[in-house]
Amino acid sequence: MNQHLFRHEYGPLVALLTRRLGVGHLAAVEDAVQDALLKALEHWPHSGEPEVPSAWLYRVAERRLVSEFRAQRRRQQLLETLGAGEASEVLPDVEAFADPPIGFGGELTDAFLKMLFASCHPDLPVHSQLVFTLKSLCGFSIAEIAARLFMSEANAYKRFSRARQQLRLDADLSGQLNDAETERRLEQVHKVIYLMFTEGYLSSHPDLAIRKDLCDEAIRLGHLLVESRAGQHPESRALLALMYLHRARLTTRQDHDGALVLLEHQQRNDWDWGLIVTGLALLNQAAEGEQLSRFHIEAGIAAEHCMASSFEQTRWERIASSYELLERLAPSPMYRLGRALALAEHQDAEAGLAVLSTMVLPGWFECSYYWYAVKADLCFRSGHMDDGNGSAGKALSAAPNQHIRSALKRRFRRYQDFTDT
Amino acid sequence: MNDQTSNKYLCMLRSESGGCEKPSPSEMEAMYARFADWQQKYADNILDMGGKLSQQGAVVRHDAVADGPFVEIKEILGGYMMLSAASLEEAIAVIQASPMVANPGTSIEIREISTQ
Repeated sequence: MNQHLFRHEYGPLVALLTRRLGVGHLAAVEDAVQDALLKALEHWPHSGEPEVPSAWLYRVAERRLVSEFRAQRRRQQLLETLGAGEASEVLPDVEAFADPPIGFGGELTDAFLKMLFASCHPDLPVHSQLVFTLKSLCGFSIAEIAARLFMSEANAYKRFSRARQQLRLDADLSGQLNDAETERRLEQVHKVIYLMFTEGYLSSHPDLAIRKDLCDEAIRLGHLLVESRAGQHPESRALLALMYLHRARLTTRQDHDGALVLLEHQQRNDWDWGLIVTGLALLNQAAEGEQLSRFHIEAGIAAEHCMASSFEQTRWERIASSYELLERLAPSPMYRLGRALALAEHQDAEAGLAVLSTMVLPGWFECSYYWYAVKADLCFRSGHMDDGNGSAGKALSAAPNQHIRSALKRRFRRYQDFTDT
Repeated sequence: MNDQTSNKYLCMLRSESGGCEKPSPSEMEAMYARFADWQQKYADNILDMGGKLSQQGAVVRHDAVADGPFVEIKEILGGYMMLSAASLEEAIAVIQASPMVANPGTSIEIREISTQ
């Protein structure tokens, strides 16, 4: 059986039924699909799994919706005859409902992708889009999402309902997005998938399984996208390549006690070579067209790491210039830090520090531990002990959690002059 | 599995009515996986997965027929299954390992079926 059958059936069924009934009934649809899964949980252990689980689930959910709406309509009619002139809700015409249509599988995927595009609305903050996608399309509960994204349940819920509200206002979902709008949304879809992946990959969640979940879900969405008409884009393939190349190294980023392992100390033999090969093939396919996107360059950097036989053998010069290119394409202090670290390996720590010294720090970045951690490391390596200890202290106090704090300490303890306070 | 030393047990699943929030699809698939593991591990003990009991029913007494099978309102007899085990202790162990008992508010009554 497909290990994630329940979760993977959920989103497409929600999307297809929502398309038929209208986005105003999204909550009722989600409820009905959830109930259908609950029925499956009760019946399948006894009767065995049906041949086409999605058709079984569709029928159960549809039956429930039909009887619910019929009852609602009767109530409305009754109220009308009694003269209780309340503004009645517009109910969908469920009498026209039928069994799963022919070409059901294709229609499911199609509806799923349309809903993904509709939910990646340019007016919504990207984190809200992510919460909505994880809840309505990937089948996670608000509590699970909150735990995975390190936000409070109240916050996750607020984001979810705002996103749902936005979708209601904008009836894209039942209508069709035109080609120009689809193209425009594609960038947003990429952002959401990329964010889902990085939330899993960079997270310091102690449970590796939970982190893999998010990464694999992002890769699954990436695949659906690349196989669709809307995703016939080199950038989509580059994004998928990037995720494969990182995913190949994910399990070696944590030791048995859950502590973070830096690239330098990762067991390269334990990297997943199957994933690396797939990632490289995708990157190859992405190398067409005129546009070089950040995903292309980031995937290129990931590929350099995957193909280097050791940390020392890595082609740091290429990595440094890739980061420089990224900075020109989409200025970000993270790219600057990447360039400083690569230069420190290629030349020396002073060269890395020189790159940092010309950097204008945005406000939000000043309180981030990344900046101080990199600065401390380069200072220690180039003999500026006082500056090193100053930055190290700030990095440790800004570290968001214990795992990162201890990984930083382990790193700094390599330097004799590090004073652990 | 039906050797001479094994007995049959009827297991009745009761759960408190109403209550808890519906699990999410991701929680459900985890439950489903635990169920499948359990069924596989104890395949020799599970004679009949039984089924769910509908809430339609009646109680017939000498003086009347009452609607509804419920003796108590608070708990619902939701399902049954048949086990084979060498002893009541073994039957308890099999049931304890099942994901069914993980739900708060659920209890499973085990009765040996006497054939004598």
